[in-house]
Amino acid sequence: MSKTNKQLALVIDLNVCVGCHACVTSCKEWNTSGSAGPLTDLNAYGASPSGTFFNRVQTFEAGTFPNTQTVHFPKSCLHCEEPPCVPVCPTGASYKRKEDGIVLVDYDKCIGCSYCSWACPYGARELDQERQVMTKCTLCVDRIYSETLPESEKKPACVLACPTSARIFGDVHDPESAASKAIEERKGYALMPEWETQPANHYLPRSIMETIDAARNDK
Amino acid sequence: MRPQFSIIFFTTLVGMAQGLLFFVALSNLYSQATPNAFLTNLVLPVAFILLCLSLLASFFHLGHPERAWRAAAMWRTSWLSREVIALPALMAVTVLIYFYAHIGEVPQWLWLALLFTTVVLWICTAKIYQCIRFIQEWSHPSTLTNFILLGLGSGLVLLELLIILWGDAAAKFIDTPLSIVSLLLLFLAFNLKLWIWRRNRGLKPKSNLSTATGIKGSNIRQTSMGLMGGSFNTREFFHHQTDRMIANMRKIIMLCAYVIPMILMAYALTSPSAMIIALALIINYLGLLAERWMFFAEANHPQNLYYQRVS
Repeated sequence: MSKTNKQLALVIDLNVCVGCHACVTSCKEWNTSGSAGPLTDLNAYGASPSGTFFNRVQTFEAGTFPNTQTVHFPKSCLHCEEPPCVPVCPTGASYKRKEDGIVLVDYDKCIGCSYCSWACPYGARELDQERQVMTKCTLCVDRIYSETLPESEKKPACVLACPTSARIFGDVHDPESAASKAIEERKGYALMPEWETQPANHYLPRSIMETIDAARNDK
Repeated sequence: MRPQFSIIFFTTLVGMAQGLLFFVALSNLYSQATPNAFLTNLVLPVAFILLCLSLLASFFHLGHPERAWRAAAMWRTSWLSREVIALPALMAVTVLIYFYAHIGEVPQWLWLALLFTTVVLWICTAKIYQCIRFIQEWSHPSTLTNFILLGLGSGLVLLELLIILWGDAAAKFIDTPLSIVSLLLLFLAFNLKLWIWRRNRGLKPKSNLSTATGIKGSNIRQTSMGLMGGSFNTREFFHHQTDRMIANMRKIIMLCAYVIPMILMAYALTSPSAMIIALALIINYLGLLAERWMFFAEANHPQNLYYQRVS
């Protein structure tokens, strides 16, 4: 697959994510309300609720006491430049858009075989239990190209919702974009580089531990 | 991975049908060995029923079975799509042979076509799993070899059963040699399985929490996976069984898929009877179901790194 001219993506700053899940709820709110159908919740008020989400925030710890750090880690489709989920789809429902690199699922063509979810090493795809089609982050394709929303709101819902501006949205093939500059200047990295999927989404590493170490060494 | 029962039934049933058709095609290419009545009254109908049952099972895997026809579209890139074409092709060749056998002689090219389509279908089915490079248990040529050997094994035992049921006329041309070949196939398949299990035990996962999250520092552990009640990710990619269940399942597989059928087939060498061979086939098939269950259960998906801790 040749590289697309434009590649929209998210750059997530792990320095400032506080794990508030505002991106999760705003994503759910926007994407469950669209014409593509709801992101189903089953047993929503029961003991073990289960629902479709395009975006999750997880939490990790690293280090040994007292030098530990807690990292909140938002996770959604990475819109890979070489998406392993696309060629395996038997119907062509999964595709990568040439014009902007967004990986999408055509819900009308999806037969719900789940094969693409097996072929994604990141677990970015979730089969909707009620609609029985594969769902995933669309980068809010219906927001960013909206003809009715004001210019300032033509961004993914998660980006607008983030209270700490931990999510930068932009074209990572345009070296002048804020997203590309953040990757370049702050050593943005991709997840599981060993599988050569070339994720478009990048993460900005935490620099706080380096700062603490430097402060300790100064003493 | 979660064992998918629709696929467990699909791959075992279709494998048996392929094994049966493969040996029938092979014996007819070698010499016009099988009487036409044996083909039209027993072998081809049985094979066709198995193919239909497997096709039916595969539909239960789909969230939208009414759209299944769309799955033939992406044959250029998707092994699943190729399989969706190869299975009806095999069914079509089987039906064609049925008609030729009914009206006269089956031409050689048709037997060749049958041999070809059975092998192509095996490749498509196995490649669906083998081509997922980050499921390291599957991403190895042994996946294809295992599917072929087990399909040939069960298919040949079925063929022997059909020959015995048909009676003397058909039994004349192949009997002892077939039993020896089926024994040999089961023995080879058994050794391959033991080798695969040894390989799986020694696999070093390419991904770990460090590459999955990129967090610098040692001793990375998850404190929350971002949900408490489970999700597609916690259901689809884990087998949710205890280690003890897995260990017991391995014993069942060794006994049922390989050892007991081998003993029964060895016994059938000296005193062949429909009863013994039918028993061998049934036990072998139950073992195959368990083997395919384990094929899924022992596959570790790297996405599981992100789903380790509920809180």
